[in-house]
Amino acid sequence: MTRQSQEELREIVGRLPTTRDEDWKYTDLSRARDITSRWLDAGAETVAADIDEEIERISGSIDATWFVIANGELRLPDAASGISAERLDDVPAAASALAELNSALLVDGLRVRIDGAPDKPVGLLFIDGAADAATSQARVEIEFAAGASGEVVEYHASQGAQDHYSNTIVAITVGDNANAAHLRIQSRDLRHVQTTHTTVNTGRDARFRSAGFDLGGGLVRNDLVIGISSPGAEISFDGLYLAGEGQHIDNHTRVDHRVGPATSRQEYRGILNGRCRCVWNGKAIVHTGADGTDADQANHNLLLSERAEIDAKPELEIYTDDVKCSHGTTVGQLDETSLFYLRTRGLDRQHAKQVLTHAFAAGLVSRVPVESARNIVSELVEARLRDIIHSDEDFS
Amino acid sequence: MATESENLEGLVNRRYEHGFVTDIETESLPPGLDENVVRAISARKNEPEWLLEWRLQAYRQWLEMKEPEWAHLHYPKIEYDQISYYAAPKSDEDRPKSLDEVDPKLLETYDKLGIPLHERARLAGVAVDAVFDSVSVATTFKDKLADAGVIFCSFSEAVIEHPELVKQYLGSVVPRRDNYFAALNSAVFSDGSFVYIPKGVRCPMELSTYFRINAANTGQFERTLIVADEGSYVSYLEGCTAPMRDENQLHAAIVELVALDDAEIKYSTVQNWYPGDENGVGGIYNFVTKRGDCRGRNSKISWTQVETGSAITWKYPSCLLRGENSVGEFYSVAVTNNRQQADTGTKMIHIGRNTRSTIVSKGISAGKAQQSYRGLVRVMPQAAGARNHTQCDSLLIGKDCGAHTFPYMEIKHPSAKIEHEATTSKISADQLFYCRQRGISEEDAVNMIVNGFCKEVFKELPMEFAVEAQALLNVSLEGAVG
Amino acid sequence: MLEIKNLKSRIGDSEILRGLSLSVNAGEVHAIMGPNGSGKSTLAQVVAGHEDYEVTGGSVTFKGQDLLELEPEERARNGIFLGFQYPVEIPGVNNAYLLKAALNAKRKHHGLDEIDAFEFLKLAKEKMATLGMDPKFLNRGVNEGFSGGEKKRNEILQMAMLEPELAILDETDSGLDIDALKAVAQGVNSLRGPERAIILVTHYQRLLDYIEPDFVHVLSQGQIIKSGDKTLAHELEEKGYDWVREAATG
Repeated sequence: MTRQSQEELREIVGRLPTTRDEDWKYTDLSRARDITSRWLDAGAETVAADIDEEIERISGSIDATWFVIANGELRLPDAASGISAERLDDVPAAASALAELNSALLVDGLRVRIDGAPDKPVGLLFIDGAADAATSQARVEIEFAAGASGEVVEYHASQGAQDHYSNTIVAITVGDNANAAHLRIQSRDLRHVQTTHTTVNTGRDARFRSAGFDLGGGLVRNDLVIGISSPGAEISFDGLYLAGEGQHIDNHTRVDHRVGPATSRQEYRGILNGRCRCVWNGKAIVHTGADGTDADQANHNLLLSERAEIDAKPELEIYTDDVKCSHGTTVGQLDETSLFYLRTRGLDRQHAKQVLTHAFAAGLVSRVPVESARNIVSELVEARLRDIIHSDEDFS
Repeated sequence: MATESENLEGLVNRRYEHGFVTDIETESLPPGLDENVVRAISARKNEPEWLLEWRLQAYRQWLEMKEPEWAHLHYPKIEYDQISYYAAPKSDEDRPKSLDEVDPKLLETYDKLGIPLHERARLAGVAVDAVFDSVSVATTFKDKLADAGVIFCSFSEAVIEHPELVKQYLGSVVPRRDNYFAALNSAVFSDGSFVYIPKGVRCPMELSTYFRINAANTGQFERTLIVADEGSYVSYLEGCTAPMRDENQLHAAIVELVALDDAEIKYSTVQNWYPGDENGVGGIYNFVTKRGDCRGRNSKISWTQVETGSAITWKYPSCLLRGENSVGEFYSVAVTNNRQQADTGTKMIHIGRNTRSTIVSKGISAGKAQQSYRGLVRVMPQAAGARNHTQCDSLLIGKDCGAHTFPYMEIKHPSAKIEHEATTSKISADQLFYCRQRGISEEDAVNMIVNGFCKEVFKELPMEFAVEAQALLNVSLEGAVG
Repeated sequence: MLEIKNLKSRIGDSEILRGLSLSVNAGEVHAIMGPNGSGKSTLAQVVAGHEDYEVTGGSVTFKGQDLLELEPEERARNGIFLGFQYPVEIPGVNNAYLLKAALNAKRKHHGLDEIDAFEFLKLAKEKMATLGMDPKFLNRGVNEGFSGGEKKRNEILQMAMLEPELAILDETDSGLDIDALKAVAQGVNSLRGPERAIILVTHYQRLLDYIEPDFVHVLSQGQIIKSGDKTLAHELEEKGYDWVREAATG
């Protein structure tokens, strides 16, 4: 199934980033290397577990035209209107060791084109479930044609007691005057490892709105790289990460303003409880000549446990003067006065915490750009919050 | 690039073509660095054996280290074996005989800064007895300090007179192998200042290198150590708003501050070294390691800096907040114009409980300059109740400059409260027009707006210093608009 | 004093002033009225020298001198004051500092010595008292965190200090409550004199109840389409701008 020899594959695994790389300072991919090596040792065969029920459950929860990538293998939907889809037969040259790994081990790639205004969102379900330790790859290219107006929902899930590492690449292009809404829900098993690399390129007067929700996963690293090369783009994206015991969630974003005018706005929020670590690194680069750029970054974190750690790094690189850029980052706790107030109204401490953490996340939930998925996101967030608050060691 | 590096070599090669001479009492060492050079420097200063050993260890560590490349800076490779690591004070014959022989541009700047005439000669290194005024000031000054029990002397003097204090604190804040430039400095440091404030003493005046006249020509590898014993207070001013005549290209200084229980150190810097010309030729490379150790309970260290000089600046005055309730502060104005580059910021390491830190950084970038704020706020797992507030603003003047921020926040305690805000903008056309409509010239309007932008930092400077710093800012931004 | 002839100006691609002529003599108070977008503020900005507005035709002379050749600060020092519709905030720059710098720039231009701090403070406090302003304003940042009314009073204070020969007040009445409006009007009236001219740019007649103009002009689509005395303002209030427009075109 692989195009390259075991030696070549091992060589690529050996070049995966380490914490000595500045961009990976806080996230150690040893587990991904280890799982992949073990999988290669075992003959690079994946014995799929029964995940059909889970596929049914997830695809039934959001009304969309679902493309399912199960253990790296593509299942096309029966019918789709306003969408054309094909398997990828060419993969561009890889720009990183992770991308090389993806190219080398990719089974099925998918290309989706959205024209006009489809009546349903495009659903992409990335799901893994294997009987043994395994590694899987996925690659999807999404094109919003000029003037199109569409929605994409990515749902990342996994099952199984064995170690798993999945490595996904998504490339989105938003054509001139197109209006793209993008939602990413990540709810992998708490033992599993995931890396995703998403690129977005926008055309003239294009609009891209996105939100990512990291609710699961043991070791998660998401890279979101947005390039603005035509004027008039309006970019806005949110991210929520909820981390409980043993989780490590890393979100890296980068926006390249190559021309102006354009606006980009991002807001990431995190709630951390138990022994866990989250990373947020937001970078906005305003290149020479990108006059009329307005870029804003915000990152807010609630640390609820003695053993939780947040590493935040909002970066701005600005090479022209006609700009307005700002960023704000906070790290704090739940407000004791508010907690007390709720308790005087009869809520127990746990409940009061849930109410307040929910409120902390509520703004992002209410802005979910794919309206038909808003309710399910709200339910998932609430359920995950209940879990991580429940495991509270109550330090305060 | 070729011309720049030639120029660098030209500067560092100056006057050292005579080769190694035995009389180290009066002459300079030839370019190059090896253990013999380290020994020669130490011998020249009559240093005790332990300090020589300390230097040698630093040198050996330096050999194994690599020059850092992570900063957002571009400069030709520094040829360390082309630098002379010990230069004797200039003889009067080498100095300008009168102000007539001094670069008129330098004099023009003195004029704009309002430096008194007799001071101009001293600053420009003129070999006249203009220093007499300073000597008499310095003498009365020393008497007063001695009465209070304050030790304020050159580093070399301290090594001889107060070896126990130097031995106890030297390298205790910035270890020899802390970084490449720190290791280099530890091996070859020339001289610098030493301050000790005894228990419970509030230093009766602001200490300034300005008054320490025996520190002439020690700038290249300067080393400063300030120890504030329990319950003491000192305010220390480094530098001077007037550009000093300085021919050393590479500067790698170390400043170590130690504040014990209930002690406070306020350290203010105005750095105005030669930034190179409009085309980026020449200028000082400034690689400084400054760190304060709030070792005691309720101690406080406050860094205030106004940086307008140097071609390359690499500088992160930091605080280790070890003592319970200790406080670290960093107030900075950095101006880069023409082709200057600065990568500067601070580190606040919260170790003790209820430690607090404040960072206010104002960066102004003009011309083709590139400026970066790089900061780290780290809250260690035991630092319950840590607080940090960071405000980091950049002002851009012109299309070709750059302003960048790289703040790191590493928070490992849940009771930490961290707030970080940053903005980048240009001087608004509306503000400029408003001022001009009131009859104020464009240049004055820019100065006014820039000074307003920096106000939060200027108010932390001692009064006279603040006034001079404002004038300095205006001089630095000359030609940035229009 | 001010002679505007067939002035044409645009910002970006849109033509705003399309051949405007106006003559203002010393001692006169002119009101320029007109609907939104008629070019009132553009006129004020062009006279003050805002660089976003390109002058594409016509001439403006002030005291016989070609005004269009001068930088904004030179116009100011020559005696032109613009009271801004939206006075800008300048954080960190203190009000007193700006006032003193402006005053001294003008004095220097006229070959006078700089005013000393004591004299300046005395003068500023006097002027503030007449405008009903708290002296604490002097130590605040320029317009920083001021309410709308405070900003407008601050404009009038600057005008009172700088004693311009020609004051153009752009929508100085907008957003003011009645007390602030009276204070502003009183400030303006106290400056009226035979050697000084005032141009009031306003949308409503309300201000003219307190500052009585000698002439009223109606601006529409970048031209003055009707001029008259103060009764014209009342007529406008009753009949609306459409009335003049119809009268002018029909």
